[in-house]
Amino acid sequence: MSPELPGSRSGGALDIVGTSVRRSDVVEKVTGSARYAADLRLPGMLFARMKRSTVAHAFIRRIDTRRALALPGVKAVLTHEDVPRVLHYGSPMPRAASCTRDQYILDRKVRYWGEGVAAVAAVSEEVAEEALALIEVEYDELPVMTTTEAAEAAGAALIHGDRAEALQGNLVVAPVRFERGDIERGFAEAELVVEGEYEGGRPTPAYMEPNACLCHWDEHGRLTVHISTQTAFMVRGAMAEVLGLPLNRVRVLCEHFGGGFGAKQDLFQSEFLCALLARRARRPVMMEWTRKETFLAGRSRHPVKIRLRQGFRRDGTITARQASLVYNSGAYGSHGPGVTAVGTSSLTSLYRCDNVLLEGRCVYTNSPIAGAYRGYGVVQAYYALDIQLDEAARQLGMDPAALKLKNAVREGDLAPSGHAIVGHGLEDCILRGRQEVGWTGTKPPPTRPPEGPLRFGWGMGCEMHGSSAYPGIKEQGNALVKVHEDASATLYTGTAGLGTGAHTALAQIVAEELGLAFEAVNVVHGDTDVVPWDIGAFASHTTYMGGMAAKLAAAEARRQLLERAASRLQVLPAGLEIRGGIVRVAGTDRTISARDAMWPGHGLPSPHIVAHGTYTPTKSYSFAAHFVEVQVDTETGQVEVLQVVPVHEVGRVVHPIAAQGQVEGGVQQGIGHTLTENHEIDPVSGRSLNASFVDYKMPLAMDMPPIRTLLLETAPDPGGPWGAKGIGEDPIIAIGPAIANAIFDAVGVRFRHYPITPEQVLRALRMQREQVRDA
Amino acid sequence: MSARTPRTVPATGTRQVHCTINGAAVAFAAAPFRTLLDALRLELGLTGTKKGCDVGDCGACTVLVDGEPLNACLMLAVEAEGRRIETVEGLAGPAGELHPLQREFLRCGAAQCGFCTPGMLMMSKALLASQPAPSEAEIRFGLAGNICRCTGYTKIVEAVAAAAASLSASPGEDRQ
Repeated sequence: MSPELPGSRSGGALDIVGTSVRRSDVVEKVTGSARYAADLRLPGMLFARMKRSTVAHAFIRRIDTRRALALPGVKAVLTHEDVPRVLHYGSPMPRAASCTRDQYILDRKVRYWGEGVAAVAAVSEEVAEEALALIEVEYDELPVMTTTEAAEAAGAALIHGDRAEALQGNLVVAPVRFERGDIERGFAEAELVVEGEYEGGRPTPAYMEPNACLCHWDEHGRLTVHISTQTAFMVRGAMAEVLGLPLNRVRVLCEHFGGGFGAKQDLFQSEFLCALLARRARRPVMMEWTRKETFLAGRSRHPVKIRLRQGFRRDGTITARQASLVYNSGAYGSHGPGVTAVGTSSLTSLYRCDNVLLEGRCVYTNSPIAGAYRGYGVVQAYYALDIQLDEAARQLGMDPAALKLKNAVREGDLAPSGHAIVGHGLEDCILRGRQEVGWTGTKPPPTRPPEGPLRFGWGMGCEMHGSSAYPGIKEQGNALVKVHEDASATLYTGTAGLGTGAHTALAQIVAEELGLAFEAVNVVHGDTDVVPWDIGAFASHTTYMGGMAAKLAAAEARRQLLERAASRLQVLPAGLEIRGGIVRVAGTDRTISARDAMWPGHGLPSPHIVAHGTYTPTKSYSFAAHFVEVQVDTETGQVEVLQVVPVHEVGRVVHPIAAQGQVEGGVQQGIGHTLTENHEIDPVSGRSLNASFVDYKMPLAMDMPPIRTLLLETAPDPGGPWGAKGIGEDPIIAIGPAIANAIFDAVGVRFRHYPITPEQVLRALRMQREQVRDA
Repeated sequence: MSARTPRTVPATGTRQVHCTINGAAVAFAAAPFRTLLDALRLELGLTGTKKGCDVGDCGACTVLVDGEPLNACLMLAVEAEGRRIETVEGLAGPAGELHPLQREFLRCGAAQCGFCTPGMLMMSKALLASQPAPSEAEIRFGLAGNICRCTGYTKIVEAVAAAAASLSASPGEDRQ
């Protein structure tokens, strides 16, 4: 089962893994010298801007660029008439079942408000913007459908009428179905049936760095792309395919990266246009988006409607679970197929149930594109599932935490991927969290009584999430480790540095495995011409998959290093150990430094060691339970989260501060999604109503409660380095239902949607009062 | 679709601006509509100051102007005439020794993707200049104009409190 090499450092005390070493990428971030894509400058560089549609669904009848081209300072203009017409995957997972091939660089049809219809390169951004205003576009408008109901109505216009695949109506992909046991028998055995409709809005990742790329071509027709991306090799593949270039003529670089949270896996029209403008103008071109464009043309979480029905026995056993989920993909498929499959199948697990029937659909609409975003379809599904468990507990007269504990998946149960679950991570999280917050009865003892209009409540929610996208995608991580002749080492990794501290974690893993000091290892990344291929940073798999590839490479480098030490010490390598850069004959005081062992001039074939590690993971699952206290102001409808205790089981903590940082940031985004964040689209015009940080409300420093993160290592997975599993996506999943359940505890009103806004809270409280009065 | 109104760019319409940036006297030419943010990033090569929204909503471009924190995207470059500008590039000492705020951001894990970090640091510097021993609530209020999407702010608040303690223990460390 374990892919670890014989003789590798597994088990026993670890020196570096598990400590919060100084991160390798932060000095440059605090001094301002870290270069992000939009910080780069090249001689003669032009500035590009995109013209975006002012209608949500239309054919372009006429597009005239003559006045724009005549403007002094304009160097190139492109419309759909000027660019290759190649159908491509907006999300560059190569031919994966998780993505859809339905995009052109520019098309004669527009499918959402704000879609790119032309691009300009000019000597300054100001000139480029002026040129955009001079491009004349006339549209033949089509009916606008922003909701899945409208797009699925009989006779609805087809948003992708020209697609090759024979799919019904506006479906992005054939519906998915997961079935287990006998659903009818399950409901027949139930003593209580709970049923509800749940709805999720359109939160957007709102990464701080707007999308940016810089393209230039050399004399040999080689294209270099500096870009803010999570998936440099996927960008390389998509650019090469669409532009008709061999892979060795496209070089993609990304040194620093200002947040993506899943969304920056995609291609956004602008990269292709930037490259084509640079080719036409014969000058480097920088394409930097405005904040508004990140809302209109970025990627959001899929809005969703879920019908969920479960049967329970009096003792809390779940006898049946039936659900239908409809994900709103927006104008293009992006990750829709993957999100639909992962989200729908997530309901097979988390809480045990033998009789399951789940159906998921993904539907095109004339709204902004939904894509990959931290939690990947599971956020929506577990919001419904966990709230419904809370509803059931109240109806059964049980403690919600006890009901969840009773049904929590355990060792050997099947995970959504079909894998047997390792360990009892979910139970451990619930038990440890209950203990931490003093949860007895149905919640912790009240710390404060109702006060004026303020009501207080507790809630909890659970989640599990896989590291790696298997079985949707078969992934691979690769690493090269060089040990130099002075016994310092370099890790070459294709894994992107998203700001999570992943490269530091990888360096810790290499140093630990090699037996060198942490400071002796540095990391090279972010250049497809230099580092080995990697599928990219997503699916909570960087430490799990990239870390294991790095560990395997380091183990091989260590084997070669010990061979050299053995020949110097005139012993067999098997009897040697290495720690902190010192090689020792086990059980003796005979030592040689790694540096002396490496030093050339002893008849060695090569002064340095190069080792390769490759790893194709299957899947591991991390678990969490979040415990939340809220305050509801019954006069204003305002909900405030007072404290959060997130408990995460992650197998092995590599860098405690970085792991806590993932949890704290996920909780922040989750609080936003649940209470305030929703990118609103006018259902008539398809127009965005709040594409700015003033109108799209995210939690600020003063909105955030204290977060007391607990990290457990009780269910290490043999597929990750020293048992480590993912932590990137998990923290955003359980916080939502925990808040909704806490609001119910505080005021007795059940919300089954997000965001839960003050207006809705007030309206619900008013209805509650009227019902009490009428009764 | 653009945040700015299109305008014709006069070929010769630049003004000479004289100011100090991070302690050094600087002269540069700027078009009258050019923001201080664009001038820093495009004319002066100071790309440490980030453009997160360009309309004053996110705080990523916070710089100090005569000691006051301002969004560089909301100030015209020509308004810098005669003013004292501080950016993140000037925070460390002349030999590269880190400012206590930088040290604590590093130690506490307050920077993840790092894109909000320069603005956070400059806002924190202004905050500690006016409130040398802020409470947690005062730090949170002081940073409410700076959006971070990675950290949940927990470790940023922790770092600013730690830097305040370190600065009050050895006040000489904040040289500017």
